[in-house]
Amino acid sequence: MSGTQAVTPTPVQAPKQPVSGVTRTKRKDATGKSPLWVRIVLAVICIVWVVPTFGLAVTSFRNQTDATDSGWWTLFTSPANFTRLTFENYGDLFAQADMDTAFVNTLAITIPATVIPILIAAFAAYAFTFMQFPGRDLLLILIVGLLVVPTQVALVPLLKIFGSLGINGTFPAIWIAHIGFGMPLAVYIIRNYMATLPREVIESAKIDGASHFQTFWKLILPMSTPVLASFAIFQFLWVWNDLLNALIFIGPNNNAPLSIALVSLLGQQGQGWQLLTAGGLFMMLIPILVFLSLQRYFVRGMTAGAVKG
Amino acid sequence: MTIKILNALIAVVGGVVGAIALYWLLNKLAELLPGRWEDRIKPYLFLLPAFAAIGLTLIYPTIQTFVYSFANQQATEFVGFDNYADLLSSSNFQNTLFNTFLWILIVPAGAIAIGLTIATLADRLSPKGEKLSKTLIFLPMAIGAVSAGAIWKFVYASNPPTQDQIGLLNGIVTGFGGEPVNWLQISDFRFNSLLLMVMLLWLQAGFAMVLLSAAIKGVPTETLEAARLDGAGEGSIFFRIVIPQIRTTLITVFITVLIGVLKTFDIVYVMTNGNFNTNIIAVDFFNQLFTNNNAGYAAAIVVMLLIIMIPVLVFQVRQFRAEEAAR
Amino acid sequence: MRIRSSFTATATLGAVAVLTAGCLSEGGNGGGGNSNTSDTIEVMYAFAGGQEEGFQAEVNAWAEENGYTVNFSQTGNFNQLINTRVQGNDAPDVALFPQPGIMRDMAERDLLADLSDVVDAGELEQHVQGVLETGQVDGTQYAVPMSINVKSIVFYPKQPFEAAGFEIPETYEDLVALTDQIAATGTTPWCFGIESEAATGWPATDWVENLYVINNGADAYNEWVNHEIPFNDPSVVETLEQMDELLLADGRTNGGRQSIASNNFGTAAFPLFDEPPGCFMYRQGNFVAQEGVLPDEVIADLDNLVGVFPMPAESPEDKPVLGGGDLAGIFAQDNEAAQELVQFLASADFGTLEYGASGNWISPRTDFDVELYPTETWKTIAQIAYESTDFVFDGSDQMPGEVGSGSFWREMVAWISGGQDIQATVDNIENSWPA
Repeated sequence: MSGTQAVTPTPVQAPKQPVSGVTRTKRKDATGKSPLWVRIVLAVICIVWVVPTFGLAVTSFRNQTDATDSGWWTLFTSPANFTRLTFENYGDLFAQADMDTAFVNTLAITIPATVIPILIAAFAAYAFTFMQFPGRDLLLILIVGLLVVPTQVALVPLLKIFGSLGINGTFPAIWIAHIGFGMPLAVYIIRNYMATLPREVIESAKIDGASHFQTFWKLILPMSTPVLASFAIFQFLWVWNDLLNALIFIGPNNNAPLSIALVSLLGQQGQGWQLLTAGGLFMMLIPILVFLSLQRYFVRGMTAGAVKG
Repeated sequence: MTIKILNALIAVVGGVVGAIALYWLLNKLAELLPGRWEDRIKPYLFLLPAFAAIGLTLIYPTIQTFVYSFANQQATEFVGFDNYADLLSSSNFQNTLFNTFLWILIVPAGAIAIGLTIATLADRLSPKGEKLSKTLIFLPMAIGAVSAGAIWKFVYASNPPTQDQIGLLNGIVTGFGGEPVNWLQISDFRFNSLLLMVMLLWLQAGFAMVLLSAAIKGVPTETLEAARLDGAGEGSIFFRIVIPQIRTTLITVFITVLIGVLKTFDIVYVMTNGNFNTNIIAVDFFNQLFTNNNAGYAAAIVVMLLIIMIPVLVFQVRQFRAEEAAR
Repeated sequence: MRIRSSFTATATLGAVAVLTAGCLSEGGNGGGGNSNTSDTIEVMYAFAGGQEEGFQAEVNAWAEENGYTVNFSQTGNFNQLINTRVQGNDAPDVALFPQPGIMRDMAERDLLADLSDVVDAGELEQHVQGVLETGQVDGTQYAVPMSINVKSIVFYPKQPFEAAGFEIPETYEDLVALTDQIAATGTTPWCFGIESEAATGWPATDWVENLYVINNGADAYNEWVNHEIPFNDPSVVETLEQMDELLLADGRTNGGRQSIASNNFGTAAFPLFDEPPGCFMYRQGNFVAQEGVLPDEVIADLDNLVGVFPMPAESPEDKPVLGGGDLAGIFAQDNEAAQELVQFLASADFGTLEYGASGNWISPRTDFDVELYPTETWKTIAQIAYESTDFVFDGSDQMPGEVGSGSFWREMVAWISGGQDIQATVDNIENSWPA
């Protein structure tokens, strides 16, 4: 999850056997089927996991009075209520809250803040992995240390720096903040992945007379796709869902993203929360799509760079 | 609107092309230098943009904040350790610290326990069932705190007993004939903080599960078969063989979730704003800074958060070195 | 893994030292200067929903006529975010402060324009004085009201209330008698909830403030709000005891004392409209009588379903009213467009186009034509404000943030739901008052 999700990935042990290609025997009982109790327990866990979201989804189609007068599950105990379902909340959401602008803003914030740091981090990771230079270990340890620094530490000074540049409230301010905040993680996981790439490839490229620049572009970058995707997922989710940084560096104005627009639906007297159900669901759509489509890269990117032995 | 879309496109294209051009230029510059110097300078040029970003957004601000923590409310003069002394002697802040420690103790351990359980169980399902159940549990990771707050509102909500309940928990309680409970206000034994932690666990357990699952699959089947032949029970296989084999992953997940916990802000902010004895450091920081307008306290609070992180930082660095040595 | 060069370390240390040295110099002037002089004006404010729609419509019409463009920035976290915007050198051109405390703070830091030359003194005479004065610092007007809200309103379900033969109370004593009378019928007299997400507790502060001004008068009230009377003064203890008796004692509030803190302040009112009513009285601001808080069906038929009366004081002639308002101040000191906008907001014209008729807004001008308000309910509420003997501004909105949106809220919750005793409650709030 966004604002609170920080990640120190890798030193995850890689599968000792390549998962793909080799047929692994599943741990099942003699019949070749999983025991019934396992299936029941997992089914229960999955239901517990999904029900809260399902409740929100149902509520978002109920009108204000229904939503405050009775629980969403009553819909299923008296199915006549199905006829009372409505798209009203979604309609109001777009009419009142200017969600389309907020949606475009969110894209305009998230995409550059996800794409730009990848290249910068990849270059740095390349230097850390394949080049020898004095201070390398120290700089790398600095990166590792910065992974644990809470970004709150940076907010006020950064707000003042951006203030003197006059860029607060604009997209570049939030881009720079997210690029910087995501950089240690990006360099760290990309470097860990690159360290697992076969050295011979680099050596032979060198012998063929390729420069570092060419090796990076033609060889290393394409080979690193899983980890780049893996980082992209993280950064995308975290920027898309971010509230704190958006509040501080953008604030409420016509560049505000969805997270701010949603929180703003609640006036100071707290009215308007029923729109939050529709808004909350709307905001989840894109990240879930991105997540599902890139999920398969995630584990590959995160679990590479394992320790040998 | 179109201007914004264009703007975003320009930023993406410009950012990427600009970055490529920058590196190409840096590379060319390095190549102008005589051979030995080229090799000496080039690594630093490759690192330069990344470290410029880090320096601007993390290193310099951290130093600045450290300095602010010794200054007064509006950062106009130094007050020594007053901010720290004031905070540490206030019972509210002591409560906040205590809550923060509870989060640190409970959430990472909880995420690992849940993740491990699900990973182990799902490993026994058919591939299809495994994929489905893992995706369902992993999915909340894509949900932001604002949405999560809306979702859990309908779990914890409480209406007076004279009205129907709209919160799921109270729906169940009253369904069995009980009285509705104000879940988020029960601060005995920090019960309400626990309920907020459940939200974070809900969001993060999937992450732990996915990584642990990959690690468990990495445990060689032969080792397990051999143990089974020796007559070891499933329980002892799990604790004696699987756990030690996935130790590194366990540590990673633990630290990752721990860092997530220390940065947790929005769950508490949207659910209780630290009321009812649920305050934690990150929320207190925000309120000191922007509600009370006290930059000095706010800075001292984050510096304390940083100090709490130092053992983690040291551990992380040592872990990293150990792995590098093994590489 | 050894450090290969001590040079890097030394260089880092050096850089740290240099950066540190320059730190404090820029700390002091948390300046939020704004030098916008273009025809585009940004307005930041806190109200949402219908109140916001009407405001935008009214202002857009004005802007079009005068060749300006107005950008609207709405936030529920106004107090926090106006601070970030100012600290980030990105203040809006015009801000409509929902709470005067932070506005005065900004004025004292010379961030707001002096409005003496902007808005004509004659115009200001027409405003509800209690609100107007909150926009002043040392006698200088830094912000002018552009809306007011009235919090001393008791809502009741019209037909059941009349059918049961209840009488509208003229004095506080009558109110107590009425409460007893309703309780004797077996129905809880009051509905009351203080849950409001992150701001939980504020509705309780309004109750305390309302009772305090009824008991002690406007002068003492303002002294209390400005901390010239300490928060743990016996007069405050007395007020809390009074509230305990009227509202919190057994059988007084729908759902009982324990439900208050988790009961949303708005949905808490819904039992008024149950059949038979779950309660007969609900004290709250006029803003609940607009779309988004009370059920849509009730808003659609407001005059038939809902009756209102002012919180009565010691005698029928004594009409203190607790309320609030949004105060317009200018950050863009020399921006003519911003000045003209504020002139417009303070003028008799503002609201006549459609805002007044929207049923989402009350003019701060006593000369505003009440016939423009769409419902009898709304007219009555506005009249309560215009005819008040003293209009005092919401106290928690004026107290320092640590208290007004911190300990006051928190301790109210601890007192009401946690059973903390009254003396401890007021002592805790007093102790939290910043030095």
